[in-house]
Amino acid sequence: MTKIKTYWKGLAEFNQKPLVEKLKQNEFVEEIAVDDFLSDKNIPSTSTTRRDFLKFLGFSTAAATLASCEAPIVKSIPYVNKPEEIVPGIANYYATTMYDGHDYASILVKTREGRPIKIESNKTCTNARVQASVLSLYDSGRLKEPIKNNNIISYSSLDSEIKSQLSRISEKNGNIVILTPSLISPSTRKLINQFSSKYNNVKHIQLDSVSSHSILEANKLSFDTRVLPMYRFDKAKVIASFGADFIGGWGHPNNEGDYIKGRNPKNKIMSKHYQIESTLTLTGSNACERLQIKPSEQKGLLSNLYEYIVGKSEVDKRIEKLAKNLKNNKGNSIVVCNSNDIETQVIVNAINFELENFEKTIILSKPSYLKQASDDEVNSLISDMNNGKIDALITHNVNPSYTLQNGSEYDKGLKKVGLKVATSLYKDESASQMTYCVPDNHFLESWGDAHPTFGEYSLMQPTIKQLFNGRQFQDSLMVWMGLSDGYQKFLQVFYNNWGINWDKALHDGYFNINEDFVSPNYKYVDGFNGFLTKINKANYIEFEMAEKISMGDGSQSNNPWLQELPDPLSRASWDNYLTMSAATARKLGVKNWNVSNGALNGSVVSLTVNGLTYTNVPVMIQPGQALDTVSMAIGYGRTAAGKCGNNIGFNAFKLGYGKADIKLIDGEHEFAATQLHHTMMGRDIVKETTLADYILDPSSGNKKAKYLTYKGKQPAEEVTLWDDHDHKTGHFWNQSIDLSLCTGCAACVIACHAENNVPVVGKEEIRKSRDMHWLRIDRYFSSEMTKQKAADENISSIEMYAEMEDPSANPEVVFQPVMCQHCNKAPCENVCPVAATTHSREGLNHMTYNRCIGTRYCANNCPYKVRRFNWFKYNENDKFDFNMNDDYGKMVLNPDVVVRSRGVIEKCSMCIQMIQAIKLKAKMTGKPVADEDVQTACSSACSTGAMVFGDANNETHSIYELKKDERMYSLLDHLNTAPSVFYQTKIRNKS
Amino acid sequence: MIFVRYFILLSLFVSLNILSAQTGEEIFKRDCASCHMITDAKLIGPGLKGVTEKYEREWLVKWITNSSEFIASGDERAIAIWEEYNKIAMPAFYYSDDEFEALFSYLENPPVEEVVADADVDGVVVAEDGMDASTQLMLAALALLIISWVLISVKNSLKESLNEETVSVQQSILSFFKKPINKLFSVLFVAIIGIKLFYDVTMGIAVTTNYQPKQPIAFSHKLHAGMQGVDCNYCHSSARTSKHSGIPSANVCMNCHNAVAEGPSGTEEIQKIYDAVGWDPDKRQYIEGYRQKPIEWIRIHNLPDHAYFNHSQHVSVAGLECQDCHGPIQEMEEVYQYSELTMGWCIDCHRESAVMMADNEYYDEMHKKLKVKYAGEKITVDKIGGLECGKCHY
Repeated sequence: MTKIKTYWKGLAEFNQKPLVEKLKQNEFVEEIAVDDFLSDKNIPSTSTTRRDFLKFLGFSTAAATLASCEAPIVKSIPYVNKPEEIVPGIANYYATTMYDGHDYASILVKTREGRPIKIESNKTCTNARVQASVLSLYDSGRLKEPIKNNNIISYSSLDSEIKSQLSRISEKNGNIVILTPSLISPSTRKLINQFSSKYNNVKHIQLDSVSSHSILEANKLSFDTRVLPMYRFDKAKVIASFGADFIGGWGHPNNEGDYIKGRNPKNKIMSKHYQIESTLTLTGSNACERLQIKPSEQKGLLSNLYEYIVGKSEVDKRIEKLAKNLKNNKGNSIVVCNSNDIETQVIVNAINFELENFEKTIILSKPSYLKQASDDEVNSLISDMNNGKIDALITHNVNPSYTLQNGSEYDKGLKKVGLKVATSLYKDESASQMTYCVPDNHFLESWGDAHPTFGEYSLMQPTIKQLFNGRQFQDSLMVWMGLSDGYQKFLQVFYNNWGINWDKALHDGYFNINEDFVSPNYKYVDGFNGFLTKINKANYIEFEMAEKISMGDGSQSNNPWLQELPDPLSRASWDNYLTMSAATARKLGVKNWNVSNGALNGSVVSLTVNGLTYTNVPVMIQPGQALDTVSMAIGYGRTAAGKCGNNIGFNAFKLGYGKADIKLIDGEHEFAATQLHHTMMGRDIVKETTLADYILDPSSGNKKAKYLTYKGKQPAEEVTLWDDHDHKTGHFWNQSIDLSLCTGCAACVIACHAENNVPVVGKEEIRKSRDMHWLRIDRYFSSEMTKQKAADENISSIEMYAEMEDPSANPEVVFQPVMCQHCNKAPCENVCPVAATTHSREGLNHMTYNRCIGTRYCANNCPYKVRRFNWFKYNENDKFDFNMNDDYGKMVLNPDVVVRSRGVIEKCSMCIQMIQAIKLKAKMTGKPVADEDVQTACSSACSTGAMVFGDANNETHSIYELKKDERMYSLLDHLNTAPSVFYQTKIRNKS
Repeated sequence: MIFVRYFILLSLFVSLNILSAQTGEEIFKRDCASCHMITDAKLIGPGLKGVTEKYEREWLVKWITNSSEFIASGDERAIAIWEEYNKIAMPAFYYSDDEFEALFSYLENPPVEEVVADADVDGVVVAEDGMDASTQLMLAALALLIISWVLISVKNSLKESLNEETVSVQQSILSFFKKPINKLFSVLFVAIIGIKLFYDVTMGIAVTTNYQPKQPIAFSHKLHAGMQGVDCNYCHSSARTSKHSGIPSANVCMNCHNAVAEGPSGTEEIQKIYDAVGWDPDKRQYIEGYRQKPIEWIRIHNLPDHAYFNHSQHVSVAGLECQDCHGPIQEMEEVYQYSELTMGWCIDCHRESAVMMADNEYYDEMHKKLKVKYAGEKITVDKIGGLECGKCHY
């Protein structure tokens, strides 16, 4: 028998292993090793001789040849004992729960060979952060080992030290505090109760990064129950939101889906949504009408509205229409407010009570438990800490040093606490100050349960063995109590005692329990009339903090997918900034401008709010921001988040709300925005109409371009040189995107990232317009100037187009997801010199990466600009230190989709791997492809049903009808590219 | 004539002998081999080498037909064996007289162990199936050169003997190339050969037909799939359901090899499975706390990362046999790559193979339309898009 064979790539490898190893890992051969090779350190200072030149030449040729050879030995290593449920190559799905203290979702997790790779919605809507949380699991910046004072310690010594200290504190009757986010896990609550019976003086305090304290307290005053109501946005005919961004994350995650349910133009009835806010939010950009106010006006306006509703005849002009509409829709409306002021929220309660909304659209009898924290408790904890009254502090996944406005007070108090234990995913700003840090398990590695709303429960189960030496919080608690059973068993016993069928509940991921409920009674708070105020508009620039859909509260800020996700409104990524209106900017001398390569730059200012000054704060001029108000997103300015999240922008948590002193200073900031234009420049890229017009004529706003031919005026599809493909015989995969239902929430963008191994490229590359997103969501603002207006007022074209570039101060906003349109007469296919992009008979435009030679003719010829060029080998080039270049981060890659190499074009494939998989399943079971089975990553992530995917040749698929809909249009239809992706006109309720 | 008759007789005798030995072998492999070796080695039961000499036939027949009854009857030798082997009685087997005869004659003349020839080549073993065209051309050119050399020499010798003027061989060859027409043809000739050579070499890059690496365990498909007739799906169970056919995990091997500790080549190779899972063949139990090591097979069929291939599509939907692509696997002692696995090879098959549309509701609608579109033609895979790039490259 022969001995085990070893292959060399040549003599060079045999003789010179280390150098060749180095060569292999370097993407650019010329960067490698010429210096190493020529060992003459003085080479740069001497002139290169002919002989040297030949050496260079010969060596680089040899190196290039070496690097291009492929290693032939590939190992195939099967399991020793294969788990029965795992079949290599087939995905398993597990139902579990995502909860990180800020976001909650009941989800399905797709795992391949034991690795979670994708998150799907199970019962709740999933936003971008939930979709991206699968990557946070593989964050190599997580806390990996238990540590004591920055040194790794074993669990046994950690546990014995903590236990003995807890006993000593308990004997002395010292105070022990457990600090967690809103605790929605009933079993953990029971554990904490047991913990408090084991040790004396245990207090459990909850801390929410973005708290709903004021609403909870207001409900306590008005209803005597300290809970958050569930809002039925689907049942409301009139919605008035005073700053509440309920699509972006305020309240329950299902708000987004419910809201859109009430706004489907198909039903010929759409809720009327008024947004009264100062910072343009995602919710505000979807509103029918949007009113810009300063934060200081909010309470006065609400008082004014209340007085009108209870009988006063006059109301502020700006909200007159809204007030009348509300009054006419008693029991069918919702008024919500984001205020942190309890009195304001009491007024909101009074308005809703007078409008008879409670228990009709605002359900308090079946409340939500997602936010429970009390700011008062937290503040008293901080003062207790500073007074040296707290002897032990155990924190669980909270980051008070970062999220609290008075975080420095907390830090100061922390020094006086005896026993400091953090159970945390990261060694973050707060955990790094603790004596002991126990690495917590990610929710995908943990057992757990959740009770998010009345009667609804969901379970959490591990979908992967823990990656690091972590231990979940509940297990730690049990060990410190001296219980050895483990939390998994505890949890199972807990629900078995309730008579729950554990296996079924675990399989489904959730279960409902019919519980008795009582409708709380409303009462006017004592001294209510004293709460009402006049409208006092502050005469200074006001600051308010905002929340971005991508970053949330910043707990996932080390997630490169989220960092690179462009903000739906500003379209900037990897950044936070001060947003202000164009008028305010003019007043302060602040500017945004484009540099020679098109990238956006902005002025920087120094910003002082509540005594805290940040200098070099970049300013983004944001249409829609109210005059003399500025805002900044939370979730940035982290210092201990990890390599991706650190030192980006400023921490807006510390600023809170209040007067802003802004001074223009020298310097400029470089933004990385993926869309540099704001308006459609008079073109009908997004076709829209009003509800009234739509009811009269369903095709209104959807007029097709016609060309003058010898046969008279003809629509574009009649004027063509091309033959049609046969799309009648088999499948014809089409996608419909309803612009009326799209909220711009960007969950689809992250889903696409996860499904298709889309690389992260970083801020520098985004600035060069080299973003790799296969799916982008274009955002357009309306402009004051229209073609109609120019014609009416006889304005010249030059002037018209110049003015069209500027969006209105309070613009209408549209979102338009654009991916490869899969043209059936594709401009890209004609120009490819190597036939790397070709057409399929199923209506898809194929991109064959291994055929592509990178001429980029296709990208030039694509009218939709959806083709992306791989400038680098993002998965191997160390300059792109993101998930694809990380041993842990690589585990999230979808094995069914190839990781593209340098020098090729890539683009949306319409998730062809999912189509092929579902076709194969249908063939194996011998059944036609079912409508509900066939999805793309984006359509399945869409909470509102705006994206529908299916076979347009199959009458049972909903796409079949959608294609015939009178609202259906193709993007840039005058080009007659005949795309397989089409849009439904946007309908606005302007009644 | 006598010679011929003798030959016929002999061959008859031999073939008969082989016939009975084969059925005997079949019986042995079917019924006995899981507990008995044909050597001295003990398995669950004793090794059967020389058993027919040790015991008389009647005794053996009684034992095989119903050993427990035989033991109960009080036969001393039977009881002794029973006690020696942990009081485990052998299951009863009912054979006809012929079958007994076959079995005993097999046991008397066990097959001589095949000596497995050592492969003597490092690296990729390339089976030569004839010379390629360019080599033939070159050999032909060489032959021509030698012939012309010889002919010119002969001509010169003849001329010399006639005292005529001679031109040396070199000069006469050189003068041949001085003619422009000859020059042109020679250049063309060399160029054509060169281009052909270059084409052959480049087309051969990354084609790894006959790749036959040495595996960590000398597992024989010939023995398992061929002689024992184990169904391919028993080990490669996911070929019907998944994109991967799956290499069996070691616990699948143990389903049989917890009993079979010795193969034709001895215990060494099977011991490697035991080393992986931690099985003690003497105590016949798993070693507690053993750190299991996976078996690191060398992958033979390597599709590049950018090509998607799904076994279940081809096995379950198209109904292909494993051998269609993997060749006579049941005859391979060591597996080698049978097919080219190049894109041309895939496409050729997709152009020729008909889609199995009958009795599959998925295809019903499509089939109706295809029958009209391709009236009278075979509906092959390429006609439903089987040649489209994106079907395999994404």
